[in-house]
Amino acid sequence: MKKLLRSRRIQSFLHDPSAVVGLGILLLFLFCAVFAPYIAPMNPYDLVSVDLGDFLLPPSWMEGGVARFPLGTDDQGRGILSTILFGLRTSIIVGTSVVTIAGLFGIIFGMLGAYYGGLLDAAIMRAADTVFAFSTTLIAVLLLGVFESRGIFTVIIAICIADWVKYARTIRGSVLEIKNYPYVLAAKSSGANDFRILFRHILPNALPPVLVVMAVDMAVVIMLEATLSFLGVGVPLTEPSLGMMIAIGKNYIYAGMWWMVIFPGVTLIAMVVGINLFADWLREELNPRL
Amino acid sequence: MKRLVLKGLVLCTITMLPVSALAKADLVIATDAPPKSMNPHAYSSDANLSYMSNFFDGLLQRKVPEGKLAPALATSWERVDGKTWKFTLRQGVKFHNGNTFDAADVKFTFTRMKDPKYSKLLNIANSISTIETPDPYTVIFTTEKPVPWFAETMHQNFIVDKESSENRDSGDYNTRPIGTGAYKFVEWIKGSYISMEANPDYWEGAPKYTSVEIRPITEESTRFAALAGKQVDIVNGVPVTLYDKIKTMPHIELISQAARRVIYMDITNKPGTPFEDIRVRQAIAHAINEPQIIEKVMRGQATLAHQVPDAPTVGYDESIQRLAYDPEKSKKLLAEAGYPDGFEMTIAGPNDRYINDEKICEAVAKYLAKIGIKVKLDVKPKSIFFDEISEFKHHFYLIGWFDGSFDFGRSAEKLLHTPNPDKGMGVYNGAYYSNPVIDKMIIDSSSIIDLEERRKALQMINRKSIEDVAWIPLHYQQDIFAVVKGKDIKFTPRPDRWIVVKEIM
Amino acid sequence: MATYIVRRLLQGIIVLLAVSTVCFIMFRYTGDPVLMLAGKYATQAEREMVRQAYGLDRPVHVQYISFLGGVLQGDFGKSYVSQIDALDMILERFPATFELAFIAITISFIFGVGLGVVVSVWPNGILSRSIMAGSLFGISIPTFLIGILLVMFFSVYIEIFPSFGRGDTVQIGFWRTGLLTASGWQHILLPALTLSGYQLAVLIRLTRAGMRETLSEEYIKTAKAKGLSPGKVVLKHALRNVMIPVVTITGLSFGELIAFSIVTETIFQWPGMGNLLLSSIFETDQPIIVTYIMLAACIILTINILVDMLYAYLNPRIRYD
Repeated sequence: MKKLLRSRRIQSFLHDPSAVVGLGILLLFLFCAVFAPYIAPMNPYDLVSVDLGDFLLPPSWMEGGVARFPLGTDDQGRGILSTILFGLRTSIIVGTSVVTIAGLFGIIFGMLGAYYGGLLDAAIMRAADTVFAFSTTLIAVLLLGVFESRGIFTVIIAICIADWVKYARTIRGSVLEIKNYPYVLAAKSSGANDFRILFRHILPNALPPVLVVMAVDMAVVIMLEATLSFLGVGVPLTEPSLGMMIAIGKNYIYAGMWWMVIFPGVTLIAMVVGINLFADWLREELNPRL
Repeated sequence: MKRLVLKGLVLCTITMLPVSALAKADLVIATDAPPKSMNPHAYSSDANLSYMSNFFDGLLQRKVPEGKLAPALATSWERVDGKTWKFTLRQGVKFHNGNTFDAADVKFTFTRMKDPKYSKLLNIANSISTIETPDPYTVIFTTEKPVPWFAETMHQNFIVDKESSENRDSGDYNTRPIGTGAYKFVEWIKGSYISMEANPDYWEGAPKYTSVEIRPITEESTRFAALAGKQVDIVNGVPVTLYDKIKTMPHIELISQAARRVIYMDITNKPGTPFEDIRVRQAIAHAINEPQIIEKVMRGQATLAHQVPDAPTVGYDESIQRLAYDPEKSKKLLAEAGYPDGFEMTIAGPNDRYINDEKICEAVAKYLAKIGIKVKLDVKPKSIFFDEISEFKHHFYLIGWFDGSFDFGRSAEKLLHTPNPDKGMGVYNGAYYSNPVIDKMIIDSSSIIDLEERRKALQMINRKSIEDVAWIPLHYQQDIFAVVKGKDIKFTPRPDRWIVVKEIM
Repeated sequence: MATYIVRRLLQGIIVLLAVSTVCFIMFRYTGDPVLMLAGKYATQAEREMVRQAYGLDRPVHVQYISFLGGVLQGDFGKSYVSQIDALDMILERFPATFELAFIAITISFIFGVGLGVVVSVWPNGILSRSIMAGSLFGISIPTFLIGILLVMFFSVYIEIFPSFGRGDTVQIGFWRTGLLTASGWQHILLPALTLSGYQLAVLIRLTRAGMRETLSEEYIKTAKAKGLSPGKVVLKHALRNVMIPVVTITGLSFGELIAFSIVTETIFQWPGMGNLLLSSIFETDQPIIVTYIMLAACIILTINILVDMLYAYLNPRIRYD
């Protein structure tokens, strides 16, 4: 343990206060999301426990607020605090799923394309160009616009369809370079099979830039999920989402009920800032040319 | 030089603050729905018809405040026999392009309304078998079968000019209306506004306001912002969420009146489903705390509905009572029906159609969860939802209804009769409720001409539908309008929610 | 160069074809337009009439070919909802979106590059630190939240800027502009700020990164040593080099701009193409959506090709063969 603490990476991390803060925020939110059912005062999506009678209450310290709802309630009587905690789950589930799934497909396609070249490579690169030109956001909006079902799963799929190319493109660059390194050529001539070369020799060295992309992408995807839900093409009303909360709260800002927008908004910003701080450190640390 | 101009403009912007009310038109009205087309037959929604009522006239019109039928392009009308209707037309009326209005225009209009390329009012048009014009100012319609409410729809079948319409391409026809109405079309900037000017030669006399702008603003909160910023004079669809806030604003007068649209839960009695048992349907009806929905979700801006038709409709019966809120009774009924632990079901509904529609669905879901039913909520945009209704996908869903014909017979045919699309029956009975007794009562009623007899027959159907829990009426929406004070605007809302500018004094 | 452009154009056409095919196939599996076209009282027979009248009863590939044939003649079909020519409806709203995007790009370009320079020339001042912190927030706040926060502050709280619409507009030929009236400028400010937010933050970071690299290079140091004023060094030498990636990224992220214009227009009820798209999505107005996608694709591809050419022009070392 001591050894680990003394390692160069950890030391550099501990000496970068913003990275520590970033990771701290992230871990806190992760904890909240995982244990939301235990720490939240109520389950806002359990129909039996929500009472319409509690609607539109202000935060507890304001006039008319009640202690049961520290941050107030929305127009269905759901506690804002509880809804945020459950909404964090959606953000983090969508964020990690997309980064994992899109990352996995992107890495595999990108590596295969770069290693074998030819038609596969060309097809991947054209797809990547197209997706990159249109932007993930636009593609996700359009896809969700035509998908009939709504749900976390649909959102994940729609984002993944557009997002994998980011990873394919990143790893492709590294693989193209690494595959001509002497040690790879040596492994090849010693008769190692392609699978072994790709995953044992090339992948570990091509991974650092992908890790940075993953960190940045996590922030982007979380914002994207919120945006999609805000627009009404993301998760349905019956599932918690910070973006959805803000969309509902938007109708009440003129009535002076700011808590329905500000609390989920601040949470969302804090989470994304946290991830970005960490990603910045990671980028400096791994220093890939991006 | 350019830079200087730019600088000047920016400076100008800053000195112009705070925002000034810029209303060049005499009257600016904000509505909650944009027009879809300027073809008067392209859309049957009340929102679109409302716009059209300013550019066009029907053979008849409905007058504020009750919505009584009155002469318009026809001066008189009669039902000659079960299938024959005779209209005598007004003389000396001119279209905005100067053409004279006569029977040929009427015939052309109703013929065009049968063409699906131009019209979505196919139902009424296709019920007509022949149109005779014995002289330029008489039109005789013969219908395929007796249509008791034929004249009742004549306020929304707008008459177009034969001579010019025939030769216009559809793009022009759908964007530049030419009618006989109180207002002439000026321009339609889609997404921003539609402007119109008074028709000085209008047969009822020129209207009070000379230039009028209607701005569709779909977002509730934005409509409020426009009102608060004094950018508009009249607003319809004032958001209930902001009702209390607006009440405190000194420059605004709020007008709230019971709307004709009823919101109800449609429910099936399909064999093989739990809903087959009337006790289950009763249990659901008893579980819904509608007064609380009205108080909390609707902020008091709705009226409790005991039945589907509203008071002005032929077939309304004020003695009908809804099943009261009684969750204990619900649990007992469920147990008796063999579901002491409830069952699984889905509540469907649109989320962009009626006032707070998805929130009402959520609330209903909560009430049902409290009597032990495991509820799933399935709300979606109207475009998808209504498709699913037409495919009979849902057993229990929220929907609204408002029948422009003021006759429950037509509603019953569409909503209550066992679905039989080929006969045009039950097309919007999406839950597939089926009751042969009610079916027969509906068919029998359609040939009754005498109004009082007809009323009785329709009241029977109405009562039977509530007794059998064919649907669960929730509430009548409240139409809320806001009018800016101090400009001497006399605005009386119409029961059909149209904004007919000539009626604003 | 010429062959390169031809090749890019050909690629562009293939992409457009692919995009149109994907759109078309996807829409076959969503809501039935017949229900909407026929009206709510329509009987089954009437629905069939409508289905035939619009050719929706033909096999999918026949519909697709007739769709492509139409597209080649500039005919994208008519909106299911309004029966108005889909391309006309979208083009009518183009000026609104264009002006919004233009002002947004201008704001993000001027302030992004400007602040980026400030940060790199005086890297340790409080100003620079707060700018960098601001840019971190800039990339961490989703566009829709920027918009809502701006509305909450400027329209609801201190009530100085309007929160919706374009204000007064002036029609000049086919172009309807809001930039010639004071009210037009008042109305465009908040949406343009919203739309520019993310881009602005990205440009600050990009400029800073570029400047940092360039300022440490030998020739800059030489120029400084020669006694050139720091301002001149920055403007004449460093900035020029930084402009290449800045221009490229601005051009290449045009798709992002279009996507975020949908969000911005929704919040501010801006009567542009994005607003139309979103309402068409909710109404399943297939022709409008398809036309929008095709038009967006055309714009994005054209900009990309232009940026490539500009890049080659700015940086003669690059050869396209």
